[in-house]
Amino acid sequence: MTTLAGHANAPRGSIPARPSILQQMWTSRADYLYVLPAIVVMLIVIAYPIYYTIELSFFKTPPGLQLRDKIFVGADNYTAILSSEVFWRVTINTVIWTLASTLIAFVLGYGAALALHRDFAGRAVLRAILIIPWVISAVAASYIWKWMYHSDFGIIGQVLVQFGFTDRQPNFIDNVHTVLPSLIVVNIWREFPFAMIMIMAGLQTVPEQLLRAARVDGASTWQRFWHVTFPHLRGVSTVTILLLAVANFNSFIIPWIMTGGGPSNASHIWITHIYELAFGRQRWGVAAAYSVLLFVILMALGYFYVRALSGNEKEQGA
Amino acid sequence: MRNYGFGRALARGMAVSTLMVSMMSTSVLGQSVDLSKWSPEYVRSIAGTEEFDTAELCGAVTPLDYEGRLTFWYQGVFEGDPDLLRQYYKDFFEAFRATYPNIELEEQALTYNDLLDKFRTALLGNAGPMVVRLQILGGVEFASKGYLQELSPEDVGWKTEDFWPGAMKSVMWEGKTYGIPTNNETMALIWNADIFERAGLDPEAPPATWDDVVAYSKQIHDKLGVAGYGLVARKNAGNTPYRFMPQLWGYGGGVFDEADPNPTYEEIRLDSDASKQALQASVDMYVRDQSVPVSALTNQQADNQPLFLAGQLGMMISHPSDYNVMLDLQAKATGDDQTKAQTVIDNMRYGLIPTGPDGKRAVVFGGSNIHILNPEYVEGGEVDEAAAKAMVCFWTSPEWSLKMAYAGSNPGNLNGFKTKWMKERLDSIKFLDVTTSMLPYGVPFPTLPETPEIMNIIIPDMLQNALTGAMTVDEAAEDAAEKVRALTEGGGL
Repeated sequence: MTTLAGHANAPRGSIPARPSILQQMWTSRADYLYVLPAIVVMLIVIAYPIYYTIELSFFKTPPGLQLRDKIFVGADNYTAILSSEVFWRVTINTVIWTLASTLIAFVLGYGAALALHRDFAGRAVLRAILIIPWVISAVAASYIWKWMYHSDFGIIGQVLVQFGFTDRQPNFIDNVHTVLPSLIVVNIWREFPFAMIMIMAGLQTVPEQLLRAARVDGASTWQRFWHVTFPHLRGVSTVTILLLAVANFNSFIIPWIMTGGGPSNASHIWITHIYELAFGRQRWGVAAAYSVLLFVILMALGYFYVRALSGNEKEQGA
Repeated sequence: MRNYGFGRALARGMAVSTLMVSMMSTSVLGQSVDLSKWSPEYVRSIAGTEEFDTAELCGAVTPLDYEGRLTFWYQGVFEGDPDLLRQYYKDFFEAFRATYPNIELEEQALTYNDLLDKFRTALLGNAGPMVVRLQILGGVEFASKGYLQELSPEDVGWKTEDFWPGAMKSVMWEGKTYGIPTNNETMALIWNADIFERAGLDPEAPPATWDDVVAYSKQIHDKLGVAGYGLVARKNAGNTPYRFMPQLWGYGGGVFDEADPNPTYEEIRLDSDASKQALQASVDMYVRDQSVPVSALTNQQADNQPLFLAGQLGMMISHPSDYNVMLDLQAKATGDDQTKAQTVIDNMRYGLIPTGPDGKRAVVFGGSNIHILNPEYVEGGEVDEAAAKAMVCFWTSPEWSLKMAYAGSNPGNLNGFKTKWMKERLDSIKFLDVTTSMLPYGVPFPTLPETPEIMNIIIPDMLQNALTGAMTVDEAAEDAAEKVRALTEGGGL
């Protein structure tokens, strides 16, 4: 306040000139020196691969040529991708996979966190059990689920048959219509504990006195949740959703191990498709172009993530 | 264990086989063994007739006291292989280290489905091994890119005539030789005689044609409720082309003209009527009759093996090693499962792969080849040539090319058939005769850099598109043909 008032009363010509960026850097040179090693490492392991991927996306790499003999094709790879039927199919799969996995895992995790926030006998044991899917190896989990879903002898199908829900073994992962939802179920199973842990951490920050005051004022359980708990969890919820979305966009292990993107590309998402293009088919240029597009999308998500984090910090600072 | 019943089919096939052998080479008479006489009886007659001292032979290439260092990647055993083979791999490296105690060997085993991806990635970073043993369809891709050194059997003390002509084709690129075959394999049809009998089929008569396979599979499924034929259509897995290509060629189709005596690979035949007929046969089994495992789209052959052992599968295409795999699996079973498994093993039969409607019989001429890399693509930028040649000589020797193929395939070096271990193998490995009888029907994969993508991606994609109903048979075949066309012309996604 003092500063503002002071500025308002000061003569116009006496406003001090804002130092240039270089001046600011020089003033804070010690800080820059401290972060220099990290910046150098990042330039080597992040900036160069990004540059190389962008460069490679403008070249063609036929199977009979080495990568160094690549042929410049301008934006042909991008044109080919955007006009390809497979691209749109894989994109739709990726959107369904990311949205469904993220939202359902978040809702389940949120519910589990609220339930486990209450005090009851066996809470610690239940919490430990619910975390298991998250700590188990994704590779091992994928193989286990693949066998449980097995279209001829899978235990899930056998149970459904035994209990009379169906008269023949259901086809989960060998069918173009059911494969993606089946994989999403596995992904949700693996990810909801992460959301649960994040929300449980967030619940620790909800002021107990506010909840007590609301109870004294006669607020119902729902009203206390909606008007006190929920607003306090908004920041951590946003961060959790963004982290889940980024992880799901980059998901590889579950679809690759369980189906390899099949049958008939029905479970290919961007990452598995990029992997197949690069390592299975050596279309390094096309795979690079896909990666650049994915990079742009993830950068946008990253921007919102940083904004959400900044928002949280401001809220906490206030 | 009763004798397998493939006599009549074999007798009928001998004339064809002789003709095919002659087509595989213009100089069959120069071979180490007389391929024009190839038959189970001939193989028996030459087994145990010659002795080879590996250390002495390879010592002439690289002195046994040579000091050096070698990095080596190889396609090793995987979950579908028998324990016997694991032991031979272990013995091989022990023997190599004992023979060349001063060569520091760093070996790394990779599975069939992982090796190409890892090798390609390593080469991009000039971090490859000095020597690599690759699946037969991989060599040309890397030779065409200049990653491999020229390497012929003569460079390690053997003669080109010591190897199958068809196998030598797979290491040739633009008239030069870039590797040496380590082993060659041809598969056979395996069936469960007990299932055949219970389904009302002649237990000792395998299906003669692919149309019979479709009909038998349906009959088995309709009568017994178990899968008739072990269809495999997983993507990115070598098992799929190894099982579908014999069917495709049998019907008279092909990716190109690779099944012709002198292929040019210029004409694409995936969308021909014959190729569509072959694809239709798979669709009939999977979609119309539902007589094969539903899980065929995600299965590999390793998934069919336990099904077969559990008496849930009537027929499948595989190696003779599957008999040993069944014995290994049975040993791990307990109680009733062990008894059931024994019944299946007692009823296991091997026969020639069925023919197409016109009597054409074909099988993938499979196997692996060993190569030496050019130094600039090797980690450290150097290849220890002498150490590399010692390894190549050792693995392609009559002794080890046979032992490393003991249960599953056949020695790359034809002299392996003359060793005492071949004689021992004929007595101990059941059904070996059938797969050695299939060798003359072997069709090598097209020797093009694009072949791995065609076989591992485009062919399985075509199958999956048709089997899932995503496309009709015509559409799937035409789509695949178009992809091959675009690929060979240097375009396409």
